[in-house]
Amino acid sequence: MSELLEFAASEPLTLGVELELQLLTTRDYDLTRGASDLLRALKHDPDHGDVKLEITESMIEINTAPRSAVDAIAEDLDVMREALVLQCARNNIAICGGGTHPFHAWPERRISPGDRYKNTYERYGYLSKQFTVFGQHIHIGCASADEAVWLTQALGPYVPFFIALSASSPYVDGVDTFFQSARLNAVSAFPLSGQCPVLDDWDDFLAHYAFLYDCGIVGSIKDLYWDVRPKPEYGTVEIRVCDTPLSIVRAAALAALAQCLGRFLLRVRPPFDPARALLVARYNKFQACRYGLDAQISCPEQRSQFPLRERLGALLDNLREEAEALGCQRWLDALRQALVAGPSDADWLRERLAAHRNLHDVVRDSAERFRDVRALG
Amino acid sequence: MIESVFSYLRDAWNGLQGFLFFLPPFPERIDTLALLSLVLVVGLLVAEWLRSHWQWPRVLGYVVAGTVFGPPLLGWIKVDILPQIRPFADAAHGLLLLEAGRRLDLRWLAHNSDLLRGTVSDIALSFLAIFLFALLLVGLSPAWAAATAAVTMASAPAVVLLVVEESRAQGQVTERVMLYSSLSAAASFVVFIIVLGVVHAYQSGSWAHSLTHPLWAGGGAYAIGWAVAQLTLRIAGLLPKRSLAQVFVLVAMALLAVGIARMLAVPVFLTLFLMGVLLSLRDEAKTLSYTSLPEGHWMLAIILFVVVGASLPWREFTWLTGLQAIGLLLVRALAKTLSMALAGGELPLNKRLLAGLGIQPLSATAVFMAFEISRLYPEIGGPALLLAFFAAAIMDIAGPVLCRFALVRAGETPSEQEKGGNGA
Repeated sequence: MSELLEFAASEPLTLGVELELQLLTTRDYDLTRGASDLLRALKHDPDHGDVKLEITESMIEINTAPRSAVDAIAEDLDVMREALVLQCARNNIAICGGGTHPFHAWPERRISPGDRYKNTYERYGYLSKQFTVFGQHIHIGCASADEAVWLTQALGPYVPFFIALSASSPYVDGVDTFFQSARLNAVSAFPLSGQCPVLDDWDDFLAHYAFLYDCGIVGSIKDLYWDVRPKPEYGTVEIRVCDTPLSIVRAAALAALAQCLGRFLLRVRPPFDPARALLVARYNKFQACRYGLDAQISCPEQRSQFPLRERLGALLDNLREEAEALGCQRWLDALRQALVAGPSDADWLRERLAAHRNLHDVVRDSAERFRDVRALG
Repeated sequence: MIESVFSYLRDAWNGLQGFLFFLPPFPERIDTLALLSLVLVVGLLVAEWLRSHWQWPRVLGYVVAGTVFGPPLLGWIKVDILPQIRPFADAAHGLLLLEAGRRLDLRWLAHNSDLLRGTVSDIALSFLAIFLFALLLVGLSPAWAAATAAVTMASAPAVVLLVVEESRAQGQVTERVMLYSSLSAAASFVVFIIVLGVVHAYQSGSWAHSLTHPLWAGGGAYAIGWAVAQLTLRIAGLLPKRSLAQVFVLVAMALLAVGIARMLAVPVFLTLFLMGVLLSLRDEAKTLSYTSLPEGHWMLAIILFVVVGASLPWREFTWLTGLQAIGLLLVRALAKTLSMALAGGELPLNKRLLAGLGIQPLSATAVFMAFEISRLYPEIGGPALLLAFFAAAIMDIAGPVLCRFALVRAGETPSEQEKGGNGA
């Protein structure tokens, strides 16, 4: 349990973004085994972040460096995107965003080399291969461990907004799931997925972790697949519910929302009841996954339902002051535009299917959209 | 023993004809379809047995079945009935080459100059090394040494395709093995046609044919391949992508190309291979890219490789020719691995060497090309190309194993542990 003894301090409200991306064969745009070959040959500037393996060989993860400004995050993502696109072309594979691959056969996935992935496969069996889904994680820097635990819980009620804005996984196993984000259904199969329990402070978190550890339920912080969790070694809170969007523009905009929201919550410290919020959290999460921006979310304080779209619009208005202070207003404007005019990524994928009548061409269009730097978020 | 059984049956049958007027004369030859079905079942059973007991690639099992039950050993498949099933083997080979051509992505070469370097060095070094070996160490004449080199320089895309599919390999070594084997096969076709012209001139003394024949064969194959590929894309564009109807169109158009090529005496395999390459290259709308030959192409592979196994001239084996064939294969292996190593690039050296190992197969294409020369020049071609035949025969056994070994060692096939997740 030594890894948890220290919460590394980080600059408050600094950002870090992780994006899991899909590696595709150019023959038919199915997923392919390509990550370790790609990583071995990839040349990129480490000042902009890192590129890593993920659980299966059809995934690759890019991590930005810690940044104070969303513009810098966007630049990091773009530099790494360009390096990956170039190297993928040299390896005759394609790369794209999106929360799920629409038609891949999960038994065909190959576990990445390394003890960590081998152990995960031994522990979770086929779930590991089914975990070939692609998410965006956003880290928000916190000044202290107690602050991180508080923020982890305070972000809980906003999880549906992140899900709805990033939703880009309507297809699984070649069929329309009717969900906007079906990715999280794959995550929910893991025993420690879902919401963080009610915690008072860092000591309470340590006590909870120690309990799970002693019961043999966790061996590492990585076993906690909570929607939002503290990340002690980085000194951050990590939002883990977003699908990887189809473009890095949207990914940067989501980071902007996280930063503004983090600032607002830590600055204002609005009162909230985490226990009561937990009662509706799973339902609201389901609504956001199923209906995206058209979800109805429950408000435990007012004991009623509201359209997610309406609440999100109001939130974006409320965050204007934070955005101006952080210099990321244009990114929030991009989100507002997506909210008002659409289409969402999930709807865009459905439109492509309606046009092409086959999912191979849908993935091909996704790859082209990811490759095109001018693509709209 | 089989003859005595047949003799007894024949007598009994003839006796019955006196009572049963409707009986036809005793069938002296087995019906082609019946033979085909026996070839299929025997090949399948042998391959599955070898695979389940020793994990051998199925292709190898088919060749072994053909060799064991064919003229070289038991003689149950007789020499005189091989021509009956040869058209099916040709069609199978053609369709597999069409598929190999369709998987050849020439655009990749534009993105990665390492591959161009690897391809050129593989083709040049392999041809040169084999030519010099056959000329200087075996003592063949320059024309026949060139013919031997043309026939054996290439890898076998059909074998590679089947081994890759069977082992479910994915990765950079796999992709390179498929690319190099297809490109070397294409180069081999071209060199073969040129050498054929030279051989013709060498035999007849007329050099006019040495120019016109390659032009006719090569240009004709390209023209037919291009025209039929265009037509295929147009027709397939009217149908839903990945539909069964598209598969039928693909197969039907391949047969059309075969028919036209045969009418005009243009090499069928080259025509189909080029048609496949052009289908891949010209299909910008991805009309047919997502449409694959159904699993049935494994049935074609059984026929093809059983026939190949049965056609191998083991009865003419001599220790000297055997040693020469092994020498040729060693020189060829050295040239191929060296070309991969020298090509450099971002793939690590050990993986480049594995790619060199993966492109070692030499099979149906070489055997059939050698047959073509033998047919054209029966007196000289057969003996002169015995070396090529034996090299192909040895590689028919060793090639699939080497290719599979390379893909496994490269870590591009599912591990035993991972297969657990597949129920395989």
